[in-house]
Amino acid sequence: MEKEALITALKKIVKPYIQDEEAFENLSENTDFIKDLKINSANLVDVILDVEDTFNIIVDNESMEKMLTVKAALEIITTKLSEK
Amino acid sequence: MIGNDLVDLKLAAKQSNWQRIGFLDKLFTPKEQGYILNSNNPFETVWLLWSMKESAYKAYLQTHGNRFFAPKKLVCHLISKNTGTVLINNVLFFTESEIGDAFIYTVAFTKNQDYNFLSDCFEFERPDFETQHSQTYQKVLTAFAYKLKLPVAQLKIEKNCQGVPQLFWGEMLLNHAFSLTHHGKFGAFTIAF
Repeated sequence: MEKEALITALKKIVKPYIQDEEAFENLSENTDFIKDLKINSANLVDVILDVEDTFNIIVDNESMEKMLTVKAALEIITTKLSEK
Repeated sequence: MIGNDLVDLKLAAKQSNWQRIGFLDKLFTPKEQGYILNSNNPFETVWLLWSMKESAYKAYLQTHGNRFFAPKKLVCHLISKNTGTVLINNVLFFTESEIGDAFIYTVAFTKNQDYNFLSDCFEFERPDFETQHSQTYQKVLTAFAYKLKLPVAQLKIEKNCQGVPQLFWGEMLLNHAFSLTHHGKFGAFTIAF
């Protein structure tokens, strides 16, 4: 999947959980889920579960640990998709 | 090191579905899942354990570098209904929680130094992010101004690169441990002194 398509899919996943509309509109690879989008940390697990469901992958604990930014999420999704 | 965390229970019920498949497995160790599933009020136990983890994690971040999202590495043990410990990479935190109908509030602290702490929980006029943020800052600055006998206008809080808030008097960093939290209608601060 192209990076742009991945970002679009990820944006759709995080949308219900964001608390900062402006940061969401300006979402880029450098966006931080908690610091920028103000996603509640308990909802970060929903983002991860939604990523698993959408891409049909398993985000293991080690990957989850790093999943704080859009960039890290894209890397994890790309890696997991390539392992399928 | 001191950390705090507040969960607005009404909002938590709306924001998260703890019964969602995978939710408990991603957040809680088998022992913690045992606490939840054997509890008379599993919903309350979920958020009690979560606030223990969050408060200890915030205390841990104050002295140990990088942020991470690994809830199962924050290992909870309950001592009583509202006290417990959280172990994070060999650092042990003690927790004390206030469990009410409207919110659960937890303070986590290490026991290697002697200190007292002062906590205050409050309800916001409006639950939007900007109000939560500015009123929480204002409350803790007012408390510090009173404690330190300094004009509140000369005090400010800035977050460091790890997102940990720090207290400044003018441009001078004051080394007071404190922690801030807000969720939904409620906010709280804890100051160690």
